[in-house]
Amino acid sequence: MEDVWPLNIDARSPADPVFVGVGELPSGRYPERGFVMGLTQVALLALKDARMTPRDVDTILLIPNLHSFTDQADLIFSRMVEELGLAGQAKSSFMLHSGGSTSDNAVRVASGLIASGHARTVLVLQCERWGSADVREMITMLSKYGIPGEWELPTGVQFNAIGGLITRRYMAATGSTPQDMASVCVTLRKWAQLNPNAMYRGKALTVEQVLASRMVADPLHAMECPMLADGAVGFVMTSAEHAKQRGLGTRVRIAGSGGCVSHYSIGQEKDLAALGWATAAKRAYEQSGWGPKDVQFAEIYDSYAAVTAIAVEGLGLCASGDGARWFASGVADPGGKLPCNTNGGLLSAGHTGVGGGTALLVEAVRQLLWRAEPERQIAGCRRCVVGGTGGSYMDAQVLLLERAGSGGFQ
Amino acid sequence: MTSRIVAEFRDGLARGELLIQKCNECSRLNMYPRYACPHCQSQSLGWQRASGRGVLHSFTVLRLGAPEGFEGDLPYAVGVVKLVEGVQLLVRLIPDADGDWQGYRCDDQVKFSPMPAEQIQRRPCAWFTRSR
Repeated sequence: MEDVWPLNIDARSPADPVFVGVGELPSGRYPERGFVMGLTQVALLALKDARMTPRDVDTILLIPNLHSFTDQADLIFSRMVEELGLAGQAKSSFMLHSGGSTSDNAVRVASGLIASGHARTVLVLQCERWGSADVREMITMLSKYGIPGEWELPTGVQFNAIGGLITRRYMAATGSTPQDMASVCVTLRKWAQLNPNAMYRGKALTVEQVLASRMVADPLHAMECPMLADGAVGFVMTSAEHAKQRGLGTRVRIAGSGGCVSHYSIGQEKDLAALGWATAAKRAYEQSGWGPKDVQFAEIYDSYAAVTAIAVEGLGLCASGDGARWFASGVADPGGKLPCNTNGGLLSAGHTGVGGGTALLVEAVRQLLWRAEPERQIAGCRRCVVGGTGGSYMDAQVLLLERAGSGGFQ
Repeated sequence: MTSRIVAEFRDGLARGELLIQKCNECSRLNMYPRYACPHCQSQSLGWQRASGRGVLHSFTVLRLGAPEGFEGDLPYAVGVVKLVEGVQLLVRLIPDADGDWQGYRCDDQVKFSPMPAEQIQRRPCAWFTRSR
């Protein structure tokens, strides 16, 4: 079986799927912001950004929430069609789920629907109320997610322990120090200072503070663990032809994607210091014709520093084994040569459940549309890598995004 | 309802044995046990007793935020063990004499440590300790 195959669409194709708008609500604790309220508000923001109204949408894809299964049923059973006034008009509305990598898979699904003609304009929505939920209840729920009940649940493993297992192996394999690991969190916090929607805006962080915080799951300190947050993001995709017809000159296309599902159970991952990143990156680069040198900035899932350090290595953005030290060098900081997680990431913008990865994707698109706030906009950026992963870091998903340029259809 | 493969694996632990699923068709080993052999898709599957020897790929000590029902176990350590047979699994690690796991290192040689049946009933998983 071939490992990589070409995309059937390219920048010259009228059916090329493109991003034309994004929306976001602030992350943090917003108990007054209801679930459907958040979804509605973020839908209108994303559509406004795309210079559209709900009437322009034929398909709605929902990114799941984790705070309540009752609320999740509203996503499954098309509530947003009714809320947005699309009853009778919407062709289809459904929820997709692969945990933290859902946004990457949602982009693949939306792209396929658009490129094949099954959809013209797709609205993707996400809202989470983790920050306002009962913490005890969320720990219990999260301790059963992505963990095989028969074989691993009896050990007492949970999400921070999974982060600890990956971090420990990563540090042993690379010689990264606790200071190197903490520096990843510090880089993210610097970016959060520039993002008005970030949970930790206005709260500086140092390596010393991280290392002085309580040990949670050796070698992970409390400040290296993500904080559950409320948040909502949305984005709009359509075909290049339709975007052009509507006079949407600025858009973002998908140059290629790659993925690798390396395990389901954390106990079955062959190399906890590698995961699926190198394989996923190779597939994405081959499909797009890009190499690591084409990447101008990165937005990579970061619920734990080691996961992101492993990813930047697998993506070839730094030498193998140097991921955490690469962050410590400041290269990924604001003003650095290769900005990484410019919204502050899950660790500093807030872990909005399945939405954490979606927020990073939305930040990538926003940057490429040149619509970020001026203090964090990467001037003139055109190419970005988005990295997602879910569950017990079962998969590595890579999207290569580019600002649509002149020439060809685009 | 516990399925047959789960019940048999846990019965093994309660007898002080770590079992690895073995395919009756292709003789390959499967961990975790499966309902069909992932190598040849046969549904004729048996067991082989593990040597109990392996290498600690990684481990962590959970000190805060235990799942419901595990609060009384804190602190406790879980680790990924690669058995000499070529399969791997998530285990609980027995602390050193000082009650902690500071002496453990990645790539340590570890061995399966049989536990009393009552302990397996409460926590039906494999327990390992350092060999040296």
